[in-house]
Amino acid sequence: MSIKTFILKILTYTLMIVIAIIMFFPILWMISSSFKPLVEFNSYPPSLFPSKIYLNNYIELFSQSKIFVYLRNTLILIIGNTVGTLISSSIVAYPLARMEFRFKGLIFGIILATMMVPSFVIIIPQYILFKEFGWLDTFLPIIVPAFFAYPYNVFLFRQFYRTIPKELDEAAKIDGCNSWQIFLKIIIPISRPIFITIGVLSSIFWWNEFFIPLIFINSEDLKPLSVGSYSFSRTMFIVRWDLLMAMATIMIVPPIVLYLIARRYIVEGIKTTGIK
Amino acid sequence: MNVDKKSVVPYLYITPWIIGFILFTGGPIIATILLSFTKWDLITPPVWIGFSNFIRMFKVGSEFWWIIRVTLLFTIFSVIISISWALFTAILLNQKIRGTNIFSFFYFAPAVVPLIALTFVFQLILNKELGIINYFLSFIGIKEGPNWLMDKNLVLWVVTVLCIYTYFTGQMMLIFDSALKEVPKELYEAAEIDGANSIDKFFKITLPYISPILFFNLVTATINSLNTSFTLIYPLTAGGPGRATQVISLDIYNNAFKNFRMGYACAEAVILFIITVIVSLLQFKISKKWVYYEA
Repeated sequence: MSIKTFILKILTYTLMIVIAIIMFFPILWMISSSFKPLVEFNSYPPSLFPSKIYLNNYIELFSQSKIFVYLRNTLILIIGNTVGTLISSSIVAYPLARMEFRFKGLIFGIILATMMVPSFVIIIPQYILFKEFGWLDTFLPIIVPAFFAYPYNVFLFRQFYRTIPKELDEAAKIDGCNSWQIFLKIIIPISRPIFITIGVLSSIFWWNEFFIPLIFINSEDLKPLSVGSYSFSRTMFIVRWDLLMAMATIMIVPPIVLYLIARRYIVEGIKTTGIK
Repeated sequence: MNVDKKSVVPYLYITPWIIGFILFTGGPIIATILLSFTKWDLITPPVWIGFSNFIRMFKVGSEFWWIIRVTLLFTIFSVIISISWALFTAILLNQKIRGTNIFSFFYFAPAVVPLIALTFVFQLILNKELGIINYFLSFIGIKEGPNWLMDKNLVLWVVTVLCIYTYFTGQMMLIFDSALKEVPKELYEAAEIDGANSIDKFFKITLPYISPILFFNLVTATINSLNTSFTLIYPLTAGGPGRATQVISLDIYNNAFKNFRMGYACAEAVILFIITVIVSLLQFKISKKWVYYEA
């Protein structure tokens, strides 16, 4: 290795480490702060690590906030939405990937186009519709649409189905299977990876989602963690940085753990988005 | 392969999407357009007022011009910053060194956590008195660090830069990353023989090769920054101080769900919709003309 490439390598590593610090610092600072007593937030200079691990913030948070109620609500939203979109999107994508029919191109075009519609364009009529249904302040406006296929997930399923060899369908058809049986017996078992990918992406999305529950949920007892933590932060007389950082830490741990476990699926799913 | 074009079977599978499209997307778009011509407080029936909402919005000196200004500044700069950041980090991850896998873990980690949780810590980090940023600034002689989120001349730039922590930036990084891995190595080797340096290689080979992905990301970044702007800005500044960060998404939310001016909010949504359509079409057109597609 020449001197020049060696120096270049050192420089590259330095740059990469600096960027890793920039990207991960907020998370690190949040976790470390969540173990500091409130007085330490005012201390100067600020310390990267708490003087000693202080667990009282968490204990106080559990007793002072409705965090367990929020957590339950978030889990309901995740399960409802993920089950809904896995069933509906996997079915809708099937003919788009493996059958020929009139308007197929048009329908797929509309599905791609709806992915581009900002939610603020459609949220007001949705709100009015769910108000008419008497669904405001329930989980229904957030979960029911998932059973009618999300375009993004339809797209991901379609991309995956297209990689399955057509010969498998042909063989099954000769054996007397109809299209629904082919779907159940051949397509679904092979498509396990994409089911996991969408399941994981959907779980992370609904763990994080703030805007949609903010619109439809009012009762404190029905708020998911995202909206609940926000209203918790607004009800404090003085800013309790200690409790807020503890809450934020609880909110980031599950998606980070899921990301650690299922990173391959998340990355694959997102990379598929770039393939047109 | 089902070649029977008259079969109804494919449509049966698609039915859930068709119902969902009519109820939750297509129908609402039409309803938004219709409601934009009304005045409606959700209590009394809507009143048809023609173009009044739009006339009010585009009156000289109206507050809507300010919203447009803030939205354009935020969108344009957040797109530039997030795309550059995503491409830059993706290029770093494609260097021929060990450990890129670990780095990519850290680069993408902020994207998977709730933005709302990050906004809590951003408020702490950027705090004038307690914040670590101003503490670092004191090292380089800046005794009185700025009040990042309360200074009306600074705050828009602060939230724009914070876009590097959002999901859509991480998503673009991963998409760029896989696009960069597709660039044939032979092209670089050939260029090296011709004596090209890394900057030449980037602009003559890499950039043209990934240009379709670049344009795809441009479109998604624009839409996503319009969408994400709310979850980022609402908890951080709620549009303030004053109206310094009042982007259109916040204004639609306030008008519709705080002040119950449904008609006016829908008129704003129509403008947002038109902007999105124009951006998508424009970028689609430009990409057809300029983007290099492999023969």
